[in-house]
Amino acid sequence: MGAGETQVKVWDAPVRLFHWLLVLLFAFMFFTGKSGSDWMEWHMRAGYAILALVLFRILWGFAGSTHARFSSFLSGPSACIECLKHLLARKPSPYPGHNPLGGWMVLVLLLALLFQAGTGMFANDDLLSEGPLAALVSKATSDQLTVFHVWNFNLLLLLAGVHLAAVLYHAGLMKENLIGAMFTGVKRLPADAAGGVATRFASPWLALVLLAVAAFAVYLIVKRPF
Amino acid sequence: MRTKLLATVISIGVLGGASLEALAQAKPDVLVKQRQAAMTLQGKYLGPIGAMMKGAAPYNADVVALNATFLENLARMPWDGFDASTKGEKSKAKPEVFTDTAKFKAAADTLEAETAKLGAAARAKNEAGVRAAFGGVAKACGSCHDGFREK
Repeated sequence: MGAGETQVKVWDAPVRLFHWLLVLLFAFMFFTGKSGSDWMEWHMRAGYAILALVLFRILWGFAGSTHARFSSFLSGPSACIECLKHLLARKPSPYPGHNPLGGWMVLVLLLALLFQAGTGMFANDDLLSEGPLAALVSKATSDQLTVFHVWNFNLLLLLAGVHLAAVLYHAGLMKENLIGAMFTGVKRLPADAAGGVATRFASPWLALVLLAVAAFAVYLIVKRPF
Repeated sequence: MRTKLLATVISIGVLGGASLEALAQAKPDVLVKQRQAAMTLQGKYLGPIGAMMKGAAPYNADVVALNATFLENLARMPWDGFDASTKGEKSKAKPEVFTDTAKFKAAADTLEAETAKLGAAARAKNEAGVRAAFGGVAKACGSCHDGFREK
């Protein structure tokens, strides 16, 4: 640790678990999405899991710990320009949580995942599998949403690539270990930045309740018991 | 009189032959419709068997026999619709259909063979045989879609 730096815990366990589960499931979706009908059953199950995770993350963005909240990391254009200057100058990051650009990336990724899950619900593979809501629409509509599902996946790959490139930029050119921080929750920050926002951690029990709510919502969408 | 009649008969014959030839040349957009219709119907008759295989519907040997027999015949219908004249038509057929013709033909033959097995087992009311053959049919559909159909 350099002089004038301090270690601060910023990411709570739910955020970290969400992140890495999503990474694993995303890789699984990539594989099963390209592997044809044998894997389609598992592709759909993993899709439900991702939808539940994303819905949980949205709820957590309102009720979670300080740095998990949208209000703490979505900021206006001037803050984004300021952030960009910081990044290009490779100055140590003054942001304890997501920086303003990264914050918008979080929202864009969540929305793209939501769109992916939504179109997947109505998609079909012209063979033996179709999403649980495909029966509600015509074949033509289902086909169109399947095309969106395929296009949006390429967009997701692009977004994931940009996200990864940004993290590697931080690691390589700014000597900031964001990947490690997403495992441990602890970030190394300039001493003056860490004090800026006091981090309040929300209860993990609340996270479990919200995850259960999200999972139940997915169950209702998939099974439509009513 | 006789020659006149003969001339008429011949000219009708020639005209008729010409128009028959024109009819025999199905237009490219009709050929695309033909193969898409054959595919749609295959999906229509495969679906209920698939639901039974997954356990989503109770096994019904009569429905399986009827659907598998339709399927066996439908599996032979799309291929002459992939005529070179349809290359420019809007469809999901990948260019490989027309460039990698040997592989495409092999994929078509596989589907015909697999659906024939399914049809035979279904008509014999052999449920175990149907279950064994079904996987082969699904694989034949899927692998050909992967190689020769745009998403």
